[in-house]
Amino acid sequence: MTFPRSARFCALGLAALALGLGAPAQADGDVTCNAGPQSGWAKMSKLKKKAWLEEWKLLKMQVEGDCYEVYARTKEGQSIEAFFHPVTLKKLVVFRRGQEIYRAEGFTG
Amino acid sequence: MKGSRRILLWLVLALPAALMVGRFVSGEALAMDLYHPSGEMSVRLMVLALLPGPLADAFGPNRFLRAWLAIRRNLGVAAFGYAVLHLAIYAFDMQQLSAMLAELPIPGIWTGWFALLAMAIPAAISFDAAMRRLGRRWKTLQRLVYPAALLSLVHWLLLDWAWGPALVHLAPLVIAWLLRFTMRRGRFVSRSIA
Repeated sequence: MTFPRSARFCALGLAALALGLGAPAQADGDVTCNAGPQSGWAKMSKLKKKAWLEEWKLLKMQVEGDCYEVYARTKEGQSIEAFFHPVTLKKLVVFRRGQEIYRAEGFTG
Repeated sequence: MKGSRRILLWLVLALPAALMVGRFVSGEALAMDLYHPSGEMSVRLMVLALLPGPLADAFGPNRFLRAWLAIRRNLGVAAFGYAVLHLAIYAFDMQQLSAMLAELPIPGIWTGWFALLAMAIPAAISFDAAMRRLGRRWKTLQRLVYPAALLSLVHWLLLDWAWGPALVHLAPLVIAWLLRFTMRRGRFVSRSIA
């Protein structure tokens, strides 16, 4: 039995799939901050100063689940997504193109 | 396909792109907001281009599937067009070539580049003259769309980590392939028309 070329192409694709998924799983879709009711949250606009202190160029801020999420560019030009605790405004976790590049000590959400 | 019909088809295919560009130019959407719409449109068109082949094998040619097969190349080229738009949006988002190059080693990024490269070849030889000249090799080269589709899905998963939407796009293909596999055997169709 010989394999048609399409099967070989598929094998190539599957190899790439395996390679890609072999990277450690980091989920940025389901970060939870355990922030409690929104009435106790700090104003989202306060994150502007946080971003400024990090020397980021702020692109967008939004509520994601029970976290504040900031899209920004670092001064090196890296595109990042950062999650902040809505009450303490502590930087909890930062992703760059799906990869985790920072996690606050002890944060497991 | 008749000229006027083809123009109509391409107007329809270009409409979502026009809306995306419009939202970006008017400032309603940031470049980063357009990653999803452009990338998903590309994947959807790719899926639409891939479906009629196995379906025609499974159910035999009928008017509907013949018409679908007749526009398949257009769908594939449009899928590549949206992938290029996706890349342009990426360039607008990153702003610097150096920043784009610095992201190349990230799996979520290089899978996207390779998907685009794999699509570029079938798209580049999609016209009639190339089809005639390449003969049987044309079909072989068109099969690069399979790794392109897989790489696109991996690219999507690695950036989003949301399995649901990506798998929803893969599901119709898997069903069509299974149909081809099971029904073709029953009918002893030895040569595919698609």
